[in-house]
Amino acid sequence: MVTIPMEHGLIFAGALFALGLAGVLLRRNLLFMLLSIEIMLNAAGVAFVVAGAKWQEADGQVMFFFILAIAAAEVSVGLAILLQMYHRFKTLDTDAVSRMRG
Amino acid sequence: MQDLLALIVMLPLAGFAALMFGRRFPRGLVAAVGVGSVGASAAIATIVAWGTSGTFTQPLWRWLSVGAFRVDISLHLDPLSLAFVMVVTWVGFLIHLYSARFMAEGEGYARFFAWMNLFVASMLILVLADNLLLLYLGWEGVGLCSYLLIGFWYKEQANARAAVKAFIVTRVGDAALAVALLLIWTSLGTLDIAAVGAKASAQWASGSGLAIAAALLLLGGAVGKSAQLPLQTWLPDAMAGPTPVSALIHAATMVTAGVYLIARMRAIFELAPIVMTLVAVIGAATLLLAGFSALTQRDIKRVLAYSTMSQVGTMFLALGVGAWSASVYHFVTHAFFKSLLFLAAGVVILRMREEHDMFRMGGLRKKLPLTFWTFLIGALALSALPPTAGFFSKDAILAEVWKRGGAGLWLAGLVGALITSLYTFRMVFLVFFGEAKEEPKQDAGWTMGIPLVILATSSVVAGFFRLPEGGRTEWLLMSASAAASLAGILIAWLIYVRRPEAGFRFGRTKLAAFWLSGWGFDVAYDTLFVRPLAGFARVNRGDFIDAFFRALAALALLDHRAFSGSVTGRVRWYVAGLACGAVVVVAVLVLL
Repeated sequence: MVTIPMEHGLIFAGALFALGLAGVLLRRNLLFMLLSIEIMLNAAGVAFVVAGAKWQEADGQVMFFFILAIAAAEVSVGLAILLQMYHRFKTLDTDAVSRMRG
Repeated sequence: MQDLLALIVMLPLAGFAALMFGRRFPRGLVAAVGVGSVGASAAIATIVAWGTSGTFTQPLWRWLSVGAFRVDISLHLDPLSLAFVMVVTWVGFLIHLYSARFMAEGEGYARFFAWMNLFVASMLILVLADNLLLLYLGWEGVGLCSYLLIGFWYKEQANARAAVKAFIVTRVGDAALAVALLLIWTSLGTLDIAAVGAKASAQWASGSGLAIAAALLLLGGAVGKSAQLPLQTWLPDAMAGPTPVSALIHAATMVTAGVYLIARMRAIFELAPIVMTLVAVIGAATLLLAGFSALTQRDIKRVLAYSTMSQVGTMFLALGVGAWSASVYHFVTHAFFKSLLFLAAGVVILRMREEHDMFRMGGLRKKLPLTFWTFLIGALALSALPPTAGFFSKDAILAEVWKRGGAGLWLAGLVGALITSLYTFRMVFLVFFGEAKEEPKQDAGWTMGIPLVILATSSVVAGFFRLPEGGRTEWLLMSASAAASLAGILIAWLIYVRRPEAGFRFGRTKLAAFWLSGWGFDVAYDTLFVRPLAGFARVNRGDFIDAFFRALAALALLDHRAFSGSVTGRVRWYVAGLACGAVVVVAVLVLL
């Protein structure tokens, strides 16, 4: 069986994380921002799994389960906010909803 | 029986606590609580006095305990405090009874009795305190009540001003007393009065610096509270308060707190002979100064106020020559006849529709017979004419002053006696003799008459408890002081009954104006202290100390402006900020 070197896995996780971050920063639509956050969370999950495989420890996969749980919670709250936002402002553009400022 | 001691203090205190919530009480209930609490306290004081011989200490609970510094709430009864307790409760009760009717018209009935009860409680704490800190609590308590009651009719600005003046001037003395307490604690390590006396006698040499400093500071406190030179200016203005207040606080009890303090701390004063002389000189000077001022006043209450200063001066004179018991004896008789005079004057003022000016009264002898006769007895006692109590007590003082203080102080006392009877009978003749100028209002009721009669009786009878010793010198001294008093009455009769225009003419001279203003002390203090301070306050309206704190506030505001600019409401910028921050934190962690 061909093992994938850890560096490859981490580079993949880093790229995935950067993609997600870029999505959050560049997208204005709240739905896509939520999707990008999911991608970032999964990037972190991949990093855990890769590290777990490297040291033959189950901890990495356990952490991935935690991340899944957090992601589920985050999505449920996020979607609720998203629905409320659409209900009130008839838009999902975050820049349009910037009244709460100093 | 003795264990009831604490109740004497607690009852008026409970009365105060109940009346604090008494705004909605019906007037009858307020009077019942206010008068009843002091009356019950007086009754218990009598029972305790009956069952006590010698001294008695009742520890109640521990007040403070910080390291070696322990103060108990503990009451101490001995002959000195018993004399004060009896006067405070009984005279206090009679004055409360009188007030129930006197204050009936007008607002603040419950407030008045609440503060009066608090005053009685504080005064009892002062005289029953077993240690100096508890004494100081009572001392400040009576000062507070004095302030509150002088300004009782606070809606008039003059009254509020008088209250503030009394508070600030006595505060000068109170500060000295506080410093005295600190000095005694640091040098003797105790505040217990008996222990302070014993330790001071053991550790301090007679005339040593510490003893003199402690005695001087205590004297400062006494002078402030008792309205003696140089802190006497507040007392005449304190007459802005209701007349029962003047009778209770500014004649019978609080102003004699200084006498009590000096008598109580006599161990320290005896170690400082110079200060003792100073006490006598202050007493003699105040006695004369206030007497001359009383000669020219038009306001009946101000005459009595100056007279109180003068009489307390007599007590100080006695203290200064070491005549401790004579001084306390004079305090007791003075409490009777001076509160009698105030209460009778209150009746006159009430029935003359708030008229204070004696020159607008006159001929009230027939219209107010009871008031006239009681006032006359009070006046005779104040003038120290035999066989009233005032004669015996003042004679006791003058005899002691002759023996121990020398002829100079004695002469001051004698001249004081002459002036006293002169201004007293000037008052009697102006108010009760001559032509009637105005018709008095209807009768005031028996609750105001009864205290007058009881106090008048006491003013005579109290003298028989301590008859002077025989002997040729004693008889000579006695005749001299009686002659001085009679001469004063005669002069008053000659001027104010036979030739009233002479009195008017004197009243218009510059000397009379000078005496009327209290020897210019008010003007002097105004230019020396009040105006410079007020001027400085005006210049320093911005308050330079505040500048630092204002700068702090401005800085915080600036920061606020700067940072609130970063709160744009745009979520993506926040995310960018978070990301950058995370990068920076990680970089710092990795690189360092």
